[in-house]
Amino acid sequence: MKIFRNCFQNYLVHFQLYMLLRAVIPVDDCRAVLYHEYTAPSGAAYAGAGKRCIHFQTGGMGLNPTGLTTTGLVSEETARAVLHEAQKSGADYAELFLEDNESTRIEMIDGKVESANYARIAGAGVRVLLGTQSAYAYCADVDEQSLLETARAAAAALGEAKFAPNGEIRLSLNRFTTPVKQRFDTIGNADRVGVMRTGARVIKSASSEVTQALVRYLDQVQRVTIANTDGVFVTDERPRTRIFLQAVAMNGTEAQTGYEGPGCCRGFETYRDVIDVEHYAKSAANMAVTMLHAPECPAGNLPVVIDGGFGGVIFHEACGHSLEATAVGRNNSVFCGKLGTKIAADCVSAVDDGTLPGEWGSINVDDEGGTPQRNLLIENGILKGYLIDKLGSRRMGMPSTGSSRRQGYMFAPTSRMTNTFICAGNDDDEEMISSMTEGLFAKKMGGGSVNPPTGEFNFSVSEGYWVKNGKIVSPVRGATLIGKGSEVLHKIDRVGKHMWMSPGMCGSLSGSVPTNVGQARIRVSGMTIGGKGGTIE
Amino acid sequence: MTYQEFAKRAMEYAAKTGCESSELYFASGESFEVNANAGEIDRYSVSREAGVSVRVSLNGKEGYAYTERIDEPEKLVDHAADNARCIESDDDHPMQTKQAYREVTRADSALKSKTESERIALTKHLEEICLALDPRVKRVVYCTAGYDSGAVVMENSLGLYAERNTNSSYLYVMPTVEEGLELQTGFAFRMGADAADAEGCAKEAVEDALGKLGASPVDSGCYRVLLKPFAMSDLLSAFASMFSADEAQKGCSLLAGKEGQTIASPLVTVWDDPFDAVAPRAFDGEGTPCVKKAVIENGVLKTLLHNLKTAKKAGVESTGNASRRSAASAVSIAPTVFRVDAGILDCDALLKELGTGLVISELEGLHAGVDAVSGDFSLKAAGFLVENGAVVRPVSNITIAGNFVGLMKDVVAVGSDLRFGMPQGGYFGSPSILVSGLAVAGN
Repeated sequence: MKIFRNCFQNYLVHFQLYMLLRAVIPVDDCRAVLYHEYTAPSGAAYAGAGKRCIHFQTGGMGLNPTGLTTTGLVSEETARAVLHEAQKSGADYAELFLEDNESTRIEMIDGKVESANYARIAGAGVRVLLGTQSAYAYCADVDEQSLLETARAAAAALGEAKFAPNGEIRLSLNRFTTPVKQRFDTIGNADRVGVMRTGARVIKSASSEVTQALVRYLDQVQRVTIANTDGVFVTDERPRTRIFLQAVAMNGTEAQTGYEGPGCCRGFETYRDVIDVEHYAKSAANMAVTMLHAPECPAGNLPVVIDGGFGGVIFHEACGHSLEATAVGRNNSVFCGKLGTKIAADCVSAVDDGTLPGEWGSINVDDEGGTPQRNLLIENGILKGYLIDKLGSRRMGMPSTGSSRRQGYMFAPTSRMTNTFICAGNDDDEEMISSMTEGLFAKKMGGGSVNPPTGEFNFSVSEGYWVKNGKIVSPVRGATLIGKGSEVLHKIDRVGKHMWMSPGMCGSLSGSVPTNVGQARIRVSGMTIGGKGGTIE
Repeated sequence: MTYQEFAKRAMEYAAKTGCESSELYFASGESFEVNANAGEIDRYSVSREAGVSVRVSLNGKEGYAYTERIDEPEKLVDHAADNARCIESDDDHPMQTKQAYREVTRADSALKSKTESERIALTKHLEEICLALDPRVKRVVYCTAGYDSGAVVMENSLGLYAERNTNSSYLYVMPTVEEGLELQTGFAFRMGADAADAEGCAKEAVEDALGKLGASPVDSGCYRVLLKPFAMSDLLSAFASMFSADEAQKGCSLLAGKEGQTIASPLVTVWDDPFDAVAPRAFDGEGTPCVKKAVIENGVLKTLLHNLKTAKKAGVESTGNASRRSAASAVSIAPTVFRVDAGILDCDALLKELGTGLVISELEGLHAGVDAVSGDFSLKAAGFLVENGAVVRPVSNITIAGNFVGLMKDVVAVGSDLRFGMPQGGYFGSPSILVSGLAVAGN
């Protein structure tokens, strides 16, 4: 889910130049994730608001520095020296971000492991701010000399290093970890392959029309240390895992795919406790087979019912990106200056919440050391808030909302979404369809994109059904939905009672970050449905 | 520890622990990027990084591991060997042996010779020109210049040694224009030797934005469509995996087994040209010497793209299309520089040939609205309505849909205006392509 095409390209220019020519890797280089193929419901029901689930181990000053180096990525002394160096050209804020990220990826085709890869990404970045100017420098070496050089490189962007140190920087350490029952460094490839094999077996046995099962597995632990001149000194450990299940169904010359990609911010126990791989594998296979027998979707402007879970991609694209400070802070959003005004139908309330325990998009601490929170974005159609990082806060004159994120040390952080969803409403799921004369029921969505300045968005429907006279009459394939965010929000006329979320990767200025999208089932009274323009009798 | 020490110890340890062969892929580089906004530098980034990947072959299976910490080579080899042990696929993936490479020179990109302050001045200048070109230009969303340089070294225990240095420059801008309540964005970029062309870049971006003012949808239906170079190269990029022998062997490409058959209009010739000046290279991602070849020649599929693994399986030679998306990625397959051969028709001739239909200059949703397995696509599009060879008005908020293989068969004219799209993990270029019919959804 890129922020919009050109920016996605912008992101890919980096990708291209960094990744191909200089071959430094993104966290997400498996194709499923790279191309933002968001997938359908993860089944992880919304567990209620505001319960932080972080393990606050220790805090305060005076910690034994040697204890630090063994658990954090840098000593307090070094961090202070680096921040000091970074401010020598007059920066009014400096920040050090260190990352050590270990990941394992395995790919299985038709039940046989095809490839296995381990990667350790490690490096550091220094950012300086002077008013609304920012400069960022990063480096794969993390010894003190390299960090100081990186600090000087960032500082040099603001001018000569001629300023005297402006007092002692006081750092106080907080350590966060995500509670994990089964750490990824305690399991072997046999455990991972076991889970994958279940998925492959279920996909292949679902139907004789399924010709191929593709399963990709990822687990990673990102360890970060963040220190800044506001006195923040935090470490965080972020374990994430995701399994991508794809089925290909063929008959004669046609081929259709179905997929699911559940993921969590937890340990390996997630495949026992949270993610039911068999369920998702069946769903992926059914989707491929159903779509194989589906006619092309009719085209036109008609009502659309969008199911919960990944359906929330509509809010992510139609509204979410345009509420980020990257767009709002520079007057590049249709929602600039609209706080307190009506931007959506009465039935629409929406939230971005990075604090939900174990969710794919959750964070213990944001990527400039801020505290994530539950951010009310829209309440009963009224715009209540934006998603703001430190730099955005300076541009907008509003406080940060703990929304600063980045893919890794190769990116300066910026305002991003975490777990973003339209809150549950009061409408009946069945009534939405039964009261529709003709239209589309979009059960599962693919990815989408938006151009924030214009608010024009698009996203694809991966599993759709045609509705006539209140009844589902046929599955349909190949539908794309397009519209303008400012218009579509007003056209939502139903919001169901059961909200759930699904994971995806969101690409924007600060790289590709894990985010959840979510909603209850909703109905939009009219949208442009694109496709090859089939006819349903 | 230096990379050389790391490499030596890694290969020695791999041999000692029973690996038949081992290979190292080392990538390092530096980058610079700056973004201007309202006359100020609002984003600035410099970097230096390096990473090394080890690939081992153990009992005929291969495993990979990558690190950016150039320490503990033995631990990395253990990771790779552990990964090799879990491979179940029977495919043999040989490593390349010592090769001789053709001399390839790549012209320095435009920003290489510029100082940092010159690059910053260029970026600010780009914004100024955009704002000065037309009073309706209100601001720029992005206005960015960047320069990267890097080196790749590959070596293995079978005697392979290959290295290359590259540098690249880019410049891009996205202005917004406003007229009344309407707002539109435009976009243009310059790469390589042209990356200092702020005037051309600004003019193209502003024209792009102004040209969209007053855009509205057209009625749904089937239209003759002229796909402009960027739209067509985006499609080519999105469906590139169809040409991969690996996808074909896995049963995920409609082109499997179609070598020698007519799969496109006789007007269509597609080249995979690793020596194209856009991004020339002498060797591929596993050290195989690159070769230029027609993939489609006058509509006939001549070859799929192979690496050593798929070539061995198919009993053919590698086409030099092994790819490593990054040092951390396993060897896969990708085109090198992939382009549709230009024809002879200029823009006016193409519009005349189009008669009545749509010009599509921009596609969105390429990461979601395409299915490379079925060939189907359904994408948000923008462009112009053309009647009797004349542009009538801009068009937006429509989708176009079709099948890529069908589209290649329906090509009825090819333009002379070859251009390469913004690189998206590869280099894809095309001239304008006239297609006899695509489904359009709008009003």
